[in-house]
Amino acid sequence: MEEVNKIQNEVFTAREKAAKPTSFSSYLPAILALVGAFVMLGLRFQVGTEFVSDTALMMLALACYILAALFQLTNLYAPSEMAQKIGLWGATLGVFFNLASWLVRWVNAYDFELVQLQASGNPESPWIFRYIPFANLYDLSLAFAFGAGITTLFLAHRKNFQFLSAFTLPLAALILTLARFIGGEYSNLMPILDSYWRPIHVGVASLSYGIALVCFAIAVVYLLKDKVKVEAMAIFSSIFAIAVIGSISGGSVFTQAAYRAGMFMPNPSGGKPFNAFFRFELPFVGWALVISGILLAGVIIAFLAYLYQNNEKAKEIGHILLKAAFIVQIVAVAFWVTGIKSSTNVQANMQAQLEKNPAQYLKVGQEIASKQQLSAQEFAAITPKQFEQAGRQHFQNNGNKMFLSLNTNPVEFAGLLTALAGTFFVILFAFRTETLRERLPSLESLDSLMYKTACLAFAGLAMLLITGAIWANESWGRPWGFDSKETGALVAWLTYAAFLHTRISRGWRGRSSAYFAILGFLLVIFTYLGVSYLLPGLHSYA
Amino acid sequence: MSVVEESIKTKEISKPKAAPIGNRILDFLSSVRFGVVLLCILVFLSILGMLFIQQNVQGFDASFAMRTPAEKLVYGSLGLFDIYNSWYYNGLLLVLSLNIVLASIDRFPSAWKYISEPKLSATRGWLLNQPQNAVIRIHGNNESEIAQRIKKAFDENGFTPRITEDVSKSYATDDEGKKDFSRTESKKSLFVFGEKGRVNRLGAYVVHVFLLTLFLGHFVANQTGFDADIRLSPDTNQAIQRDFNVAQQTDAIQLIEINLDKQERYNVLLPFTITCTEIEQKLIDQNGSIEINNTLDWRTQIKIDDPAYGQTVADVSLNKPFSYRGYRFFQASAITMGSASEMTLELRPEKEGEKPITVILKRNETAQLPDGTKIAYNTFLPDFVMQGGQPSTKSGDYANPAVVLDVTQPNGELTKIYAFANKLPDNAPVNAPKAGYRWRLASYEKSPLAHVLSIKYDPFSAAFIAWYIGGFGLIGALIFVFFISHKRVWAMIGKKGENEFEIVFGGNANRNHLAFEDKFKTIVESLASNNLSEQKNQEV
Repeated sequence: MEEVNKIQNEVFTAREKAAKPTSFSSYLPAILALVGAFVMLGLRFQVGTEFVSDTALMMLALACYILAALFQLTNLYAPSEMAQKIGLWGATLGVFFNLASWLVRWVNAYDFELVQLQASGNPESPWIFRYIPFANLYDLSLAFAFGAGITTLFLAHRKNFQFLSAFTLPLAALILTLARFIGGEYSNLMPILDSYWRPIHVGVASLSYGIALVCFAIAVVYLLKDKVKVEAMAIFSSIFAIAVIGSISGGSVFTQAAYRAGMFMPNPSGGKPFNAFFRFELPFVGWALVISGILLAGVIIAFLAYLYQNNEKAKEIGHILLKAAFIVQIVAVAFWVTGIKSSTNVQANMQAQLEKNPAQYLKVGQEIASKQQLSAQEFAAITPKQFEQAGRQHFQNNGNKMFLSLNTNPVEFAGLLTALAGTFFVILFAFRTETLRERLPSLESLDSLMYKTACLAFAGLAMLLITGAIWANESWGRPWGFDSKETGALVAWLTYAAFLHTRISRGWRGRSSAYFAILGFLLVIFTYLGVSYLLPGLHSYA
Repeated sequence: MSVVEESIKTKEISKPKAAPIGNRILDFLSSVRFGVVLLCILVFLSILGMLFIQQNVQGFDASFAMRTPAEKLVYGSLGLFDIYNSWYYNGLLLVLSLNIVLASIDRFPSAWKYISEPKLSATRGWLLNQPQNAVIRIHGNNESEIAQRIKKAFDENGFTPRITEDVSKSYATDDEGKKDFSRTESKKSLFVFGEKGRVNRLGAYVVHVFLLTLFLGHFVANQTGFDADIRLSPDTNQAIQRDFNVAQQTDAIQLIEINLDKQERYNVLLPFTITCTEIEQKLIDQNGSIEINNTLDWRTQIKIDDPAYGQTVADVSLNKPFSYRGYRFFQASAITMGSASEMTLELRPEKEGEKPITVILKRNETAQLPDGTKIAYNTFLPDFVMQGGQPSTKSGDYANPAVVLDVTQPNGELTKIYAFANKLPDNAPVNAPKAGYRWRLASYEKSPLAHVLSIKYDPFSAAFIAWYIGGFGLIGALIFVFFISHKRVWAMIGKKGENEFEIVFGGNANRNHLAFEDKFKTIVESLASNNLSEQKNQEV
């Protein structure tokens, strides 16, 4: 009976806290953001190419998301009506700039191609949906962040869910940071993508990814509220960070204590530069990452000792190591940025690095050969020496054209920043944890919201899969081909299906559901980024 | 040990009779737990398929060649290079389909009960244990009047109300409020029950029906149809057709079968003949290359000669396939060897004082000059070079474009002429007048040498049924399931004093609890606001 009373009281608290939505006015921030963005589109038409650029608007959105998240975090630790209001309107501004950037980009992409058409005397005037910004990973990232932002704003119509911005908007900001490093150059659309199914398919994808992100954030908050120890969270965030560090730069960080950044080669037609086959070793980054990896491994060991042996000393050490790892991760990122910015005489330095480590020639030779569409027998007939020779030849011919840029490794950089953000949030959660827990809504309302967003994400992913299959069927008569991106989306969808079925039929709620929601989002992210950058397939453009 | 004791002992150790094995198997196959395990295995195998480059994916040959013989043997035997067509993956999908069917049959009766036999009344304790509950006291003349007020409130909030009277039995309580388990007492109560969206309880079954339609349609399409391709060029030049393995007219399509690093092509005969009459490539920058990133569209014009249905002319463009007798033709790719679909020739007569002539010549066509000279298109060479005394091309780029013409002079003499696009000096031997003219290729419309069309044969339109009916149906069903919820509210009316009544509310919803909570509050507050109210939430 006491247990029942406890639950009932919690329900009561939730009910008390859940300020009833005040109909239309509670949706005002979301509506204003949407309407405002379309006004910006109208202004873009009026003003023409002199109008503020879409990349500038994206940077404004990024700044607003970070600002809003900071104020909402402040409000969680030190409740203040003012901080909450700034947080809400900061998020509104962020969504406004985010959507405005995407809409302005649509018009800019049209102008970009129109100039080319007119310059060559081409009378063609393609339809406007050809230019809808769903053509590459930059466009998709803008829409993904918008999906997360607008979902957060819609949920914020209940005052007790406005705090969510503190957790969702940093993730949206990370996605925009990734977009910034991917680069927003315009490129001609691949002809097969010129279909009315593209806005439907990719639009659904970005919105459902955004909803999945919000569901993930709610799941993390649920675990925090449900008294999952911060130390356990630190173990998971450390495993994630170690996995990121171990997989970047072709796995060279832990094996050779070296981080090698990708390089660009200029595009003769003036578009976005091509990725070069060679990678340039940045000074100190590898060692800084190795040290942070060791510190994070220490965090895992110390916290495991605390959790399984209740060793308070280990807990203390773990927290010290965690903070040290955070600082070293910042240092590594700083070395990364300065290393790229300050590198001069790339060709000579690269030559010296290759003399010390000629293995890259072999790898590059193999990569070049794999692009030649040789048969397996032809490929097998090439000797390692020939591969190495091909690599050397390639460097001799192109070494002087290669250059470093912050945009050469967007996914690796975003991965490092995400690992850093993960460590930061765990440190933050460890600070006045109980106060933070008290200020969060009840477990019941969080669970309910998590379920609601998981349902939406599941329905959205189903729409994504089906519209994609229908598009593929109409474009090349093959609705489903187990392309890696298709399979990735299917895997994420199946995970959400398992989430819903265990919940509906087995009564799995709370923590179990939260773990499923986290897994589902990780798979969504793998589909969004991992598949595009790591696996071959039809969707390598996005 | 006495007989009595023995018999008692025997009874104690006797186990409950186990259900027949058939039932247990069916229970297992229809369980959600089994379904979730199947989903997890499917996820695992799908991830494996992503990590191992599949044999039909570009880049497989290189990655396969780099593997060790042991890896090739082990992974190949396990079917990891073609996992999605392996017997175990298909078997898993089959078992999952069976699980969906059996689980739906198993659970349908209980879901149907929600619709056909709604719970109209409940005990006070049950109501107070609902996720939403409240107790209020209001004034009124009698229970019927109160019931009508509640009914109106339910109605106004979109609930379909029903008033019922129910006799409930419970243990009597003594003066201190403790239950006396030796006595029961009957109590008549008036209930108002309201519900909304009850058909949502059947949503999951609709989802499963469409999901199975999708599976089945896709399976039938795969079993009864096939994929093939055809390389078509309008060029009638036999050498070009042979060198690039393209056809201008054919009644065969090529079926490709991949088995690890071996590709085999089979010719499949069509019941009709296809002739490629023209191909076109719309470019963004008309002066640029014919590469994919400078392309707006590809268009292939084909003519079908069918002994059964006569002649049909059709266009196949990107994203605009053409269907004919169960065969669908799609634009797949182009052989980006430079060619030209239409050429403008500039002819300067050898005789001084005569005006230059401009001739527009289409691929495979002929033109006649006023003096009777016949010009026939032979071939187009984008990067002209002489090799072994024969005209050839160094590359597919338009580096040194030239058109080879067969010119028949009025006297019947046949001459092979090369007209170059690049300006050549008049004294260059290759630019010497021939057949009475200096020949120059003034301009040309760029076009690739050939287009590759992919062909999907689906005699029963199973893919269409699977993805349009199954797919759109699934989307609609999911929206129905997740955007509508089954909400139920009960109100039990009890008399508490002269003109004073207690109403115990209880309610639940199968999803969207927050919205339901708002609705529930609205109902309770609307009834309590006009009365002496004493809202006691969470009375247990």
